[in-house]
Amino acid sequence: MPAPDPPLVFLMGNFEAEFPIDRRYAKNHMWGQFVAGVWRFGFAAYAVRLLQDVYFLDWSVEAGASLAERQELGSIESKKAESSLYAPIGGRLVRFNDQLLSDPSAINLDKYAAGWIFEIDGSGESLLSPQGYLEHLAAVWEVTQRTIKGQMNE
Amino acid sequence: MAKRIAVVVSQGQSASPAKRQLEEEIVGGLLMEPGIDLVLIPHLYDLKADGTGVLALRGIMGNMIVLSWLYERGARWTLDRAGICGREGLTTIKPVEDDEDEEADEAAAEADEKQRVGASRDLPNRKIYCLDLRVHPAAQPYLDEVKRIARENAMQLVSLDSGLGGFGGLAGLSGLGGQPRPEQLARYVQPTNDTALPLAGVLAPAAVMRIDEEPGRRWYPVIDYSRCTNCMECIDFCLFGVYGVDKVETILVEQPDNCRKGCPACSRVCPENAIIFPQHKTPTIAGAAMVAESLKIDLSKLFGAPETGESAEQAAIRERDEQLLLAGRQTVGAQVGLPKRHEPQAAGAKDELDSLIDALDNF
Repeated sequence: MPAPDPPLVFLMGNFEAEFPIDRRYAKNHMWGQFVAGVWRFGFAAYAVRLLQDVYFLDWSVEAGASLAERQELGSIESKKAESSLYAPIGGRLVRFNDQLLSDPSAINLDKYAAGWIFEIDGSGESLLSPQGYLEHLAAVWEVTQRTIKGQMNE
Repeated sequence: MAKRIAVVVSQGQSASPAKRQLEEEIVGGLLMEPGIDLVLIPHLYDLKADGTGVLALRGIMGNMIVLSWLYERGARWTLDRAGICGREGLTTIKPVEDDEDEEADEAAAEADEKQRVGASRDLPNRKIYCLDLRVHPAAQPYLDEVKRIARENAMQLVSLDSGLGGFGGLAGLSGLGGQPRPEQLARYVQPTNDTALPLAGVLAPAAVMRIDEEPGRRWYPVIDYSRCTNCMECIDFCLFGVYGVDKVETILVEQPDNCRKGCPACSRVCPENAIIFPQHKTPTIAGAAMVAESLKIDLSKLFGAPETGESAEQAAIRERDEQLLLAGRQTVGAQVGLPKRHEPQAAGAKDELDSLIDALDNF
């Protein structure tokens, strides 16, 4: 079996965030992979690096719900942050990874596989290629740093 | 006779090691404390309506201290909804900024002539102290406060039937009127595995009861009856059958599990801010006395939070319509359940009864 293609890398300061090229990416820093007819999403390395250890996930919608793109669907608490979560694409939310409710550690340990978060039946047209996502990261990296520093100083 | 007090530790949903450690240090620090009985439960808000956790808490007849990862008001009224009622025990565990807020509350209370539902409720003669575990990062302030309350408790004269000792005067008997039902008595005399409780002597160190119920996540409103005026705006606004009224026409959360996950719309339209969703991310909806800034970074903008400039009422209408759509029903916009805030119907829509009522008003 040939070795998998190497992931793309984005430098967050000294941290090398890796992005596998076998999937697509949403601007809200989730990866999306088309699995068995639906889009499966999880946090990309960029988000996980900012969150660090994830302690708690909660959903404000039920499986089966129809979502608009960027509709709020839950919240997350981690070592470094708490945040609401939003739908990366529009569509029907097929299921959540319920394992993460009692133990969210897979998000940190295996973000690109077992740490998947939910599946949406919808169009992945708006998702970016790995290369396109890296360009997006380069464009938002300055703003991200300012967001974090700004809030730290408050 | 000195009286034992029950200390309930409600475990958080979060896997945060800091939170787990705080819970463990509090439990560890109270284990050898005389006169205290410990009850460990999963997250209070998630307990099933008639699960072992709620039954165990209802069985505690005396004073009780409840430590949870909820705002004081959120915890108090969640307990109340589960039929675990009592008078408010005052605690010194408060967010720092709370002082000013209390003064504001008092000022508001003086000017307040509204009739609150709480004033007419008949509560059992015992106190429930709710301590918010998010106020202090260390266990010591909580241990000190629990011991302070326990001392205060031990000195009080007791009018309850606490002769059984153990579990804070726990008699294995629930019910608001204090009168045990026959099946409750039977359960006490011949306990099942679920209801058997250790009975400890008054001076013995803590008896520990651990409730291993595994509840799923729940979502429902609880009503703060010290604020509620029974105006019925919530029952008019909610179209999912969550609210009802009791025999004396007092509003209550009748079918909590009819509530739509994540939707806090009724709380937004409540004119008294009396409806609490203890798990909502907005502190005022979750029962905070005041809005406290989080210590953690909010990454919501990064994850795609839209900019909104909508009012509470607009948000409530939008949230309700979203839930109606999810349930496969028609949206209603602002047309249902906001009677007091909108222009009256066109004059032509009045029928005979309306005219009669108008005439009465004029009279």
